[in-house]
Amino acid sequence: MNRFGAALWGEALKARRTALLGFSVLAICLLPGVGGLFMIILKDPAAAKGLGLISTKAQLMAGVADWPTYLGILSQGLAVAGSLIFGLITAWVFGREFAERTAKELLAVPTPRSVIVAAKLIVTLTWALALTLIVIVLGFGVGWAVDIPGGSTELAWSAVANLLLVGALTALLMPWVAYLAGIGHGYLAPIGWMFLVLALAQIMVVLGWGDLFPWSVPALISGAAGQSAARLGWHSYLLVVLAGLAGVVAVVHWWREADQVR
Amino acid sequence: MTAVIHAVGLCKAYGSVKAVTDLDLNVEPGEIYAFLGLNGAGKTTTIRMLLGLIRPTIGSVMLFGEPVGSGGRGPWGRVGHLVESPTAYAELSVRENLDVARRLHGLRDRGVVDRIVARMGLDPYAGRAAGTLSLGNLQRLGLARALLHSPELLILDEPANGLDPAGVVEVRELLAGLARDEGVTVFMSSHILAEVDRLATRIGIIHQGRLIREFAAGALESLRARRLEVEARDLDRARIALTEAGYAVTAHDARLWVTGAEPLAAPDRVATVLVNAGAPPTRLAPAQDDLEAHFLKLTGGHP
Repeated sequence: MNRFGAALWGEALKARRTALLGFSVLAICLLPGVGGLFMIILKDPAAAKGLGLISTKAQLMAGVADWPTYLGILSQGLAVAGSLIFGLITAWVFGREFAERTAKELLAVPTPRSVIVAAKLIVTLTWALALTLIVIVLGFGVGWAVDIPGGSTELAWSAVANLLLVGALTALLMPWVAYLAGIGHGYLAPIGWMFLVLALAQIMVVLGWGDLFPWSVPALISGAAGQSAARLGWHSYLLVVLAGLAGVVAVVHWWREADQVR
Repeated sequence: MTAVIHAVGLCKAYGSVKAVTDLDLNVEPGEIYAFLGLNGAGKTTTIRMLLGLIRPTIGSVMLFGEPVGSGGRGPWGRVGHLVESPTAYAELSVRENLDVARRLHGLRDRGVVDRIVARMGLDPYAGRAAGTLSLGNLQRLGLARALLHSPELLILDEPANGLDPAGVVEVRELLAGLARDEGVTVFMSSHILAEVDRLATRIGIIHQGRLIREFAAGALESLRARRLEVEARDLDRARIALTEAGYAVTAHDARLWVTGAEPLAAPDRVATVLVNAGAPPTRLAPAQDDLEAHFLKLTGGHP
């Protein structure tokens, strides 16, 4: 087995054994669950009236019961909840080595540090994309079960592409969470970072610069930011990719060169 | 012959705090080098620099003639290590923890895991999650990981930490056997001189970040202060008589310490002086600083 395969095997084993795997799947499953519930309420407001506050909330948030609305809920939910859940996963994959002081077992071995970081990033990315696929598959399953009106094949493929793009771009920004887990030696710094960029992303959208701020782009694509999405262009995608690559360089450099005191 | 560990002018500063200052180390093949110091003396910082985990502010480290450099470069396939407290992935079993290490070392032979599990007495715990292990068994797991790839150099930070007395003896015998039978070089830190006295071939004492003394383990015996201890019913009279006879005498609790080569060589003359002075000894015995007292003297502590 080559060095990368060895590192990937180890990281995948750790990921498979953690309770976070189950929690992340459960958490992401809430998205289609809540979306489906909203559709049930909106399809039959009279019957759902007994649900009180939930019914009112559903009407305020969604509006009408149709496929475009439902898929919009999934996409917007993935942009927001995805950044938090993917961030938690990344904070765990990288931060646990410092919080649990196991990093020293990875640093003076024949497998290069950059290979170990690459394996961790691949596991994080795969995990995030798997959760995105769960949203897509379960989302269509729930939509079909609830029998939402107004669907078409064209709409379905467009929604799949949109959800994959939102999931992939959100995941691409995770190396910065990994970097923060390193310099913060644990979980607190990356979690703080996640909330900071989530807030900054909102502010940038309000200021009209969302298309230029990589952390705002997934939300703009999802439609969570309303009309601001009109400014999106190739430059926005390019900025996300560049920010992701810069994050990869930062985290690899940190693992290779920084003093490892844990 | 190339030194296994060759460190020159190692310094590590964190802002204005100097953790290690101007430290030179040379450890030859097959040696068991004990690196002794009180807590906070700089032992772990030195070990981390040897392993490339932290970068020296000044100085350099070579292992087997190969520089330990930036980016984690070093001959790690030939080195086993245990740094500070033992750690493991809590959710993985003992065997899985070792299997992760086996793969990171590029070892194809899966049997090495079973062999090291048996050697370290971890058989009953092999399938158990590492998070449920006692500190002693976690330490055994750490040692197993250090030995997994049959390294030529072992760098161990407090290897007996957390082990019961039987475990301490077991580890001591294991390390002695590795050095004797397989020519493994051992560099180990400890803060207990007695723990390494019977094992090390050379001892270096680090204090406040500086290597203040280095000696062959055999020399330790001659370095420890020797004296003649005297007890008498009339201790004041005995002290005056011995002082008048030209001996160097100091009082310690209910006994006198008579130092110098002559009283140790001829304690009968000391007894005669005391009897003639009317303060016959009730006890007269040669004594020596115990190891800990000697260590504390070297490091500026008590006694």
